Amino acid sequence: MSHHNPSDLLRHPEDRRSFIEKCAKVSFGLSVLPFFSRIAEAAEAPGASKAPNADLPGFGKAKRVIFLQLNGGMSHIDTFDPKTGASKGPGSIVSAKGDMQLTSYLPETAKISDKITVIRSMTAKVGVHASAAYLMRTGFEQRGTVQHPTLGAWAQHFLGASHKTLPSSVTVNRSSNHGNGWFPAAYSPLPILNPNDGLLDTKSPVGEAAVAKRSELLAQLDVGFGGKAVDENVKSYNEFYESTFQLMKSSDLKAFDISAEPAEMRARYGKSKFGQGCLLARRLVENGVRFVEVAIGGWDMHASLDDRLTDVGGDFDRVYATLIQDLDAKGLLDSTLVVVATEFGRKPSFEGGGRGHHPLVFSSVLAGGGVKRGYVHGASDAKGYAPEADGVSPGSLHATIAHAAGLPVQTDIITPAGRPMQVGNKAAPQKGVFA
Amino acid sequence: MRLLALFASVCLALSAQAAAKKEGKKEAKKAEPVVKAVVPPAAPVAALGERAAIWHTWTDKEGQKVDAQFCGLSGDFITIQTRDGRTYHFKTDILVAEDVEFARSCLERNRQNSFSPAIIASAAADIDRLVGAVLTANKQTLNAPATDEQFLRRIYLDAAGRVPTAKEAATFLASTAPDKRAKLIDELVFSPGYTMQMFNWMADLLRVKDTFAKGVPAFTFEDWLKTRLAANAPWDKLVYEMVTADGRLSDNGATGFMLFDAEMPLDGVSNLMTTFLGTNMACAQCHDHPLAEWKQRDFYQMAAFFGATDGKDEALLSVINKIARADGGLPKAAVKKIADMNTFRLEDLDKQKLTFPKDYKYKDAKPGEAVTPALIAWEKGDKSLPAYNVSTKNPAQLRDEFARWLTSPQNPRFATNIANRIWKKAFGLGVIEPVNDIDDLSFASSPELMAHLTFVMKAAKFDLREVQRVIYNSKTYQASASATPDLGKGRYLFNGPVVRRLTAEQAWDSLVVTAVGTYADNVLLRRGDDLKAFALPAGKVTLAELKNAVDRGKKAFAGTGKAAGSKKAAGGSSLGLANGYEGDKPVSRFSLLLARASELPQPSPETHFLRLWGQGDRLLADSATNDGSVPQVLQMMNGAVGKLVADTRSAAVMDAMKEKTADAQVTSLYLSYLSRKPTAKELAVAGKSLKDGLGLTDLAWVLANTREFLFVQ
Repeated sequence: MSHHNPSDLLRHPEDRRSFIEKCAKVSFGLSVLPFFSRIAEAAEAPGASKAPNADLPGFGKAKRVIFLQLNGGMSHIDTFDPKTGASKGPGSIVSAKGDMQLTSYLPETAKISDKITVIRSMTAKVGVHASAAYLMRTGFEQRGTVQHPTLGAWAQHFLGASHKTLPSSVTVNRSSNHGNGWFPAAYSPLPILNPNDGLLDTKSPVGEAAVAKRSELLAQLDVGFGGKAVDENVKSYNEFYESTFQLMKSSDLKAFDISAEPAEMRARYGKSKFGQGCLLARRLVENGVRFVEVAIGGWDMHASLDDRLTDVGGDFDRVYATLIQDLDAKGLLDSTLVVVATEFGRKPSFEGGGRGHHPLVFSSVLAGGGVKRGYVHGASDAKGYAPEADGVSPGSLHATIAHAAGLPVQTDIITPAGRPMQVGNKAAPQKGVFA
Repeated sequence: MRLLALFASVCLALSAQAAAKKEGKKEAKKAEPVVKAVVPPAAPVAALGERAAIWHTWTDKEGQKVDAQFCGLSGDFITIQTRDGRTYHFKTDILVAEDVEFARSCLERNRQNSFSPAIIASAAADIDRLVGAVLTANKQTLNAPATDEQFLRRIYLDAAGRVPTAKEAATFLASTAPDKRAKLIDELVFSPGYTMQMFNWMADLLRVKDTFAKGVPAFTFEDWLKTRLAANAPWDKLVYEMVTADGRLSDNGATGFMLFDAEMPLDGVSNLMTTFLGTNMACAQCHDHPLAEWKQRDFYQMAAFFGATDGKDEALLSVINKIARADGGLPKAAVKKIADMNTFRLEDLDKQKLTFPKDYKYKDAKPGEAVTPALIAWEKGDKSLPAYNVSTKNPAQLRDEFARWLTSPQNPRFATNIANRIWKKAFGLGVIEPVNDIDDLSFASSPELMAHLTFVMKAAKFDLREVQRVIYNSKTYQASASATPDLGKGRYLFNGPVVRRLTAEQAWDSLVVTAVGTYADNVLLRRGDDLKAFALPAGKVTLAELKNAVDRGKKAFAGTGKAAGSKKAAGGSSLGLANGYEGDKPVSRFSLLLARASELPQPSPETHFLRLWGQGDRLLADSATNDGSVPQVLQMMNGAVGKLVADTRSAAVMDAMKEKTADAQVTSLYLSYLSRKPTAKELAVAGKSLKDGLGLTDLAWVLANTREFLFVQ
């Protein structure tokens, strides 16, 4: 029997020296059993510490990423990729800033389109919501034998924690569904299900005086546990309780509190869950959270497409334009990549009052973080049915984001199950989108 | 309560008895330990006899009778199962006295069919000898024996899934009986908590999830598993029943395991190989790994054993949808539920349909060619074992043939896989790590120990309770715990169990019992029976049949406050479950339903304490973790769980309040949370704080937030 399975590396002590341990302690979460969650870097060749994509344009420009996931499948033809002829939707075509055309459903976006890059040649094969959303969030097709990490977890693996007390990644309006994949659970994004609530349980239900007395007693009574040879995991939890006490007292917590924003700013983002979620995302990245995903539903427009684009699309349009303007005004846009992603596009033809699922071609939008301003990348054919030339796969979109965030792409890591994996599933980044 | 109300229908089909299997040879694999220890062979362990199901006609005090199988008896509660597969859990006081007596005798009969104390002692001593030899050869020693307090807390958590109450702790600590540890082990492995913690452990391994595919409820599967565990079904029978299950999800809960992967059958095979054999074939599913041992062809040949198995009755689905569309008046949610419960079914067709993939790129088979089923082997001699003598002629029998090989004691990995996992459950680490990849047995920290455990597993006829009794009675298990070893510096040789953070379920169940007492041990959730109302009769489906099923469903869910097929009924919320509980109902405080983890949604919603503390999402096997996070601590200190602990209604606090002196009150809380008495210094410190304005609820909060509470030594 062969002893050369990569997972064997994880079991041979002599080989362990060559491993990079990334998982031990991070501030917001920690992995208490380091030996179970050890991830290996595959080729530890001389100079391998330098990412193969490090010298390409745009590398590492995005210090933070806001990932907007439009659930349901945004119709590319009715938004960022307008068409004439039989495919045309109810909206009219508008010439927008930055030398591109959008539909009349995106009037606010049209005013800031000189700050964005539209990718019109996204392509995939999956036309089922859950699996396609999984593909867009991870860059991998969904499988029953492995869970893939989201970009926040990849980034934490390669770059470490982004802040000493705040989490490195957060999901807003959506549970995190173990976005850590094969990485330690501590890399799982922190879920904020309601942006107005922020982080739960940060305040003690008893008064400050009682908290002080309780914690003093806790410190006194818990001191001897474990004896002299304190277990590493116990020690980790000791430090961890410490940092939670710190966090409770710390001003960092304000990052989660959108009520601290000026009323005018809250109004600009609007009262919708998406608007408040984007405002929270902006506060979080501003304060040191690296990766924030904000989800917005309602895009599965099989019927009443016109009404719903006005409604759901209108909300998106206002909020998105506000977010881009706000980041730009704060000088954060050049170092913050904002991604608009959706699980697939919608068919060129109408069925009833709406359009069916269409993964063959759809649009994604990038802004900030070193990408070109006012640029259209790739194109769909005249009908909006297929990419005109080579399409951009969800994996390649992920590789592009990863590249912008300064992660090594097309570089193997070995998962604890002994399988080689790459961020973006081996795809190359889209070099053309970078300024 | 009346029996008639309990037993809606009782049919008299006989349950098939699985054929007895012959004992396999002890594994003969040689491998290098860390430093080779010379160990004399372990003493033979006399095998257990076959256990027959105990059927009985039960009579209640009003003279009503029902025919049912005895499953378990714990305290005042009995669990029985009727021939239609329904289980019932109720207080024995509704039964006539003779039947209560009979139930006790059944329990006694089950206990007698266990390893004798002499066999337990000898098999446990062999564990100690084998571990000791490896330790000595490597110039290490066993840790000092654990104190009674350490042992007490550890065995309660491992065998009953929770910490002992103050009273349970005080009773054990006060006992001077020389065999009090062995007695406690036996008491706990026959307690209701045993079944609950085994369910939690197995749910993580088997990916027990309230819904699969697009919201199909798996409650009948959960109920089935709980019933089989309550009856202490041996692991080989359990696995055989799951892998060979036939019929609809509504009729046969055992189908749930295979149906979980019905839409991705190849992934299903890969998962099954990992779960039951510790074989890692995930890579080979898509390609020969240049470095790994399994070829893509190996994988396809194994998968072909399931190539005639069909998981979804598309024809029936289209008939149901057609009728529903034509009528238009049937409620959509109910129709979906009917479709889910009847069209997800396991059936073996007369053709094996698996072919090699179109992009197959190796010379050992052609793309698109039909696959001939063949079993994998680990060693050269494997294929000459009688277990490998399977027939692949009849496609409809392929799954059964596979299951016979899979669960045979002669299977080269089946017994070792489960023995290694059970060992890890007790010690925190497997003899072979990782436990989901044991293809190469020479990775065992002690191959002799692995062989002995495998042998004990076979002698116990895969009775996991008996194997755990052996392990728990060993000096190795009863040694004090080791700090988490750095495996980077070498293998762990089992100087004792490893210090572990409580699993999410252990922590939750302990907090539930400190909040409401042992009452929680008898709160059982069973949600499958209501769904059986949606079962369609065999044969042609008509509008009338559909309407009947809708009406039956309405009745079954009437008064439950949950519309048939609603998200709540599928476990979307932990509240709103109350009507799924049999016998006692759970207490609810601070929006927390205080039932034990096994009797809550599987898995719990993502923001629940259980998930926050690492209960897995159950999408993959072994998805639970012991990782930490800030929200955990925040919830424990400030959230609903923190309030639950620092509450005057808490059972632990009320127990303490019954005491007259401050010292006795502090002692009672220490026993409740930490299973030990406080030291003189702790008494003084805690006593002083009670005088300085803190209450017993504050002290409870403090103790629940100690690392000592969170960890088991």
